[in-house]
Amino acid sequence: MSLRSWATSRLVIVPGGMVIVTLVWLAYVGAHNHGIVEGHVVDAAGQPVAGASVQLFERGFVTHQERGRTTSDAQGAFRFIDNRSHSIQLEAEAPGLGRTERRILRLWFAAQDAKIAEPLRFAAPK
Amino acid sequence: MTRNAQSLLGLRHLTLILISFVMLVPFYWVIKTAVTDENIYAYPPSLFPRDAHLFNFVDVWYLIPFPRYLANSMFVSTIAVIGNVLFNAMAGYALTRQFTGRRTVLALFLSCMLIPFQATIIPAYLITAKMGLLNTYLGLAFPMLSTIVCIFVFKAAFEAVPKSLIDAARIDGLTEWRIIVRVLLPLSKPAIATNVILTFIWSWNNFLWPLLITRDPNMQTLPLGLARFLSYMEDTTGALYAFAVMVLAPSILVFLMAQKEFIRGLTSGATKG
Repeated sequence: MSLRSWATSRLVIVPGGMVIVTLVWLAYVGAHNHGIVEGHVVDAAGQPVAGASVQLFERGFVTHQERGRTTSDAQGAFRFIDNRSHSIQLEAEAPGLGRTERRILRLWFAAQDAKIAEPLRFAAPK
Repeated sequence: MTRNAQSLLGLRHLTLILISFVMLVPFYWVIKTAVTDENIYAYPPSLFPRDAHLFNFVDVWYLIPFPRYLANSMFVSTIAVIGNVLFNAMAGYALTRQFTGRRTVLALFLSCMLIPFQATIIPAYLITAKMGLLNTYLGLAFPMLSTIVCIFVFKAAFEAVPKSLIDAARIDGLTEWRIIVRVLLPLSKPAIATNVILTFIWSWNNFLWPLLITRDPNMQTLPLGLARFLSYMEDTTGALYAFAVMVLAPSILVFLMAQKEFIRGLTSGATKG
């Protein structure tokens, strides 16, 4: 078997292609797995909420357990820097505003850096 | 082509398409469930996936040590495949030679095929234990290192090689071993592919033997992982089916890559002349 026909054989191309795709994916994962999760907290009117306590829950086999807690700044922004999971939930709590709904965030790999486009929103007071 | 022949061909194709459809529906259903969070018992069932996503596969990867199970299955299957090609080729070649008791050996092989593995599992376990191979990769692959069906596949392939070619090789000074490696194996690629595919699939799907001889969870293979996963996640069908797809994918890939040779290998020796 010549080198050319060997190199163009499907028995080489398919596993070789898979190895290349895996290496590229691993390089991408390596560059984006710092565990940073960023987002904003807003009230019912869409105004930023400062000082809201944001909790990060990590998925276990059956339940979600709290793994981190941070506070939103004056712009309502929050940031976690040590998420190690691939499936998390976020929830904000502020005095007088109650709690937001838990936001489920499923990531493509553990500790993937993520920026939440849709802010955590408190419901309008009843 | 006459009109009758054309309609007959069309009818045959239609029948085959219908049979293929029936065969592929379960696969489709497994994949559909794996990419959704649907309950498989929901009624009426939806034919097409709704809100499809791939996160169930990510869950499987991280919720259990999937990479470890995958690596274990890969190691064990690779050992089994190498052992099969090596030992079966030798046994197949021996059976093409004339020696005293050849027919008895053939009869023994054929009769051994009738004994189910479950019946021999205790002696197999004791032998493996005596050899100190419990809880090792070699021990996991041990009963799969040679299979009688695959020996007969090699025997049929070697018998199809003209005897004059082997005689010429012998006159040229090749030893028996080199005749197998240099002459017979290059001419028996379909038989090798058949051995690789069958052994890979058998070893990959093997459940009972790994269950018996592994002590350490880190030595478990994918079918054991699937059983473990099922016990944890019995209500999460999406993740469970995603796991099933991930277990199935490598063996389907191996089959698709070598199916042409596989079919040729199984049919070689079926006809004479």
